[in-house]
Amino acid sequence: MGIRAKIFSGFLIMAIMLLVAGAWSIYELSNIGISVQRILDDNYKSINAAKLMVEALEREDSAILLLLLGKQKEGRAILQSADASFRKAYETARNNVTIPGEQEYVDAVSRAYDNYKALWSKPIVETAREGNLSWYFSEVHSSFLMAKLSVQNLMSLNDQMMYRTASDMESRAHRATMPGIIAIISAFVFAIIFSFLINLFVVTPIIKVTDGIQRYIDSGIPLKVKVDTEDEISKLVSSVESLIAKSER
Amino acid sequence: MRYHIVLRYVGIILLINAAFLFISAIISFLKGDSALFPLIYTCLIAALFGAFPFIFIPPTEEISIKEGFTIVVSSWLLSCLIGMIPYVLWGGEFTLTNAWFESVSGFTTTGSSILTNIEALPDGLLFWRSATQWIGGVGIIIFALSVLPSMGKIGMMLYRSEISPLAAANFRYQTRETLRIIMTVYVGLTVAETIALVACGMSLFDAINHSFTTIATGGFSPKNLSVAYYRSPQIETIIMIFMILSGINFGLLFLSLSGKLKVLLRSTVLRTYLIMLFAGVVLVAVNIHGAVYGGWGETIRHAAFQVISIGTSTGFASTDSNIWPPFSQMLIVFFTLLCACSGSTSGGIKVDRAVLLWHAIKKRITKVQHTHAVVKAKIEGIAIDDDVLEASLLYIILYVAIVFVSSLLICFMGIDIMTAFSASAATMGNVGPGFGLVGSVSNFGNIPEIGKWILTGDMLLGRLEIFGLLLFFLLRSWK
Repeated sequence: MGIRAKIFSGFLIMAIMLLVAGAWSIYELSNIGISVQRILDDNYKSINAAKLMVEALEREDSAILLLLLGKQKEGRAILQSADASFRKAYETARNNVTIPGEQEYVDAVSRAYDNYKALWSKPIVETAREGNLSWYFSEVHSSFLMAKLSVQNLMSLNDQMMYRTASDMESRAHRATMPGIIAIISAFVFAIIFSFLINLFVVTPIIKVTDGIQRYIDSGIPLKVKVDTEDEISKLVSSVESLIAKSER
Repeated sequence: MRYHIVLRYVGIILLINAAFLFISAIISFLKGDSALFPLIYTCLIAALFGAFPFIFIPPTEEISIKEGFTIVVSSWLLSCLIGMIPYVLWGGEFTLTNAWFESVSGFTTTGSSILTNIEALPDGLLFWRSATQWIGGVGIIIFALSVLPSMGKIGMMLYRSEISPLAAANFRYQTRETLRIIMTVYVGLTVAETIALVACGMSLFDAINHSFTTIATGGFSPKNLSVAYYRSPQIETIIMIFMILSGINFGLLFLSLSGKLKVLLRSTVLRTYLIMLFAGVVLVAVNIHGAVYGGWGETIRHAAFQVISIGTSTGFASTDSNIWPPFSQMLIVFFTLLCACSGSTSGGIKVDRAVLLWHAIKKRITKVQHTHAVVKAKIEGIAIDDDVLEASLLYIILYVAIVFVSSLLICFMGIDIMTAFSASAATMGNVGPGFGLVGSVSNFGNIPEIGKWILTGDMLLGRLEIFGLLLFFLLRSWK
């Protein structure tokens, strides 16, 4: 193999190491981008919806207490608005089922909310229920807690998935940086080996040939340079030897 | 020294590593696991580094002793470095220190692990982990049977102190022929064990992994519970047989497989090795019977497996020996220090040196009784040089001193005595598990970072027979 090809192969190897590491880093970084988008699209939307549902449930609970106190107008107005908020948030969660098993959690929210709503849909003011705290504690409050718990379960599921995706992102970030670090270290070590070999098989023979020619010019000592490789250097040595032989003739 | 020649031959070792990395990558690809890119990238680096010297450096037949020695030791160290790259790239539990620990533990065939959940590793990486031990196992035998005995004056010193003349008496081949024999026995045993394990119901993947690490007396298992996972006396019996075989000098094994059984029966070292294992099994069985296990069947099964596993420096576990009585634990610590025969893949002080030590003691007693007598220690009718006895004693003293210093340093980091001592002895002897925090079904993950570096130093010192590593760092003063 000629010197040109040898030097080219050295640079090619370094380029391959850096290129592959670079390509891999880009791949992992783009995956991190996808993971971020997934967190926002899949999990954060559902978590936000769950928070809105919990807020709506708490407003409904307050409204029921107002109805127990006989405040029909204020209580019903709050219930209507909170119910609309809950329904809107629930629809967001229902349309954003992205985790295996999430559908069951969404259905559980629906069932728990329907049970809860069935209690406060019936009239309260000017009935036996008005001011009836034992009815509130025995039926309404426990039903409210059940609905809230079902929403919290949904939120927890999305929280866990978000944590898992974030952990995955951390390892992906690790995978994106490590090839670069290893490629840099490898390229550095390779450069040292490359320079050692260039020095040993290219530079040193050239110096030997130069010294040999100089010795021939100065004191007529015949040129004797041992070259192990079969490349331009060995051709150069044999050419110089032929030249010297020709000039002597 | 011609460094470019070293570079060329180290390149061959890197290419061998690249080949195994490629196989691991294929497994990873077929299983669709997450280790594909780490394995492919490391394979690429190893292949490029390994192939590049061939472009520049012309081949040469003549290698000096010093060059040969440098090739073997630097190949080992470079393999450990290359071996850690897939771990570092994959991430998980592998920090830089942990990856180095796992890689050194693999190539030195120690079998100690930092992993708390081995089964979480992708299959490609599990295969690579086992392959490091298999590659390391070949390296050990080549180093012990081929490189050290051919090292002239210095080699004789090393040879006497590290391998002992008994190994030489057992093995008289030239290097090229030696390599052929080593590979025949090594591959033959691996294939035979794989077939036997598959026949016992183990999956092919697990069987290959276990065979790789049994023949190398490494002890890495793809299961968290090691061999205990299978709860199979048949599998344990197969592994026990191959562990015993792997603890025998490979030259002797080849001779016996070639029909020269007499050589096998005549070997004092082999007899001592088998008697010690048998005595160990009996003593442990008597001690744990009733105290840990009710029936004799179960008692003998676990006693035999654990003693053979540690006594051959493999390190597989069929049960948790951490719960065994102190007498059994101390016996296992004894086997951790001693291990099997030289010229095998096992580590430790080795039975050969124990035999020499015994003869040195006998000689000293006779000298005390008969002050003017000329006494020569003899093994199998061959007189042993005083230099050889002295070198063996020196090695044993140095070995124990290193274990002591290493234990002291680990104790300084707040680790209990049993854990520190057994971890040092287990890594120095390339055994794997110890007691306490590093028990047979535990791991080295709880050892502090600096402690892990100390223990990897022990692994390399033990694997390269102490003087091997020391000489490598004193190459300049080697004339």
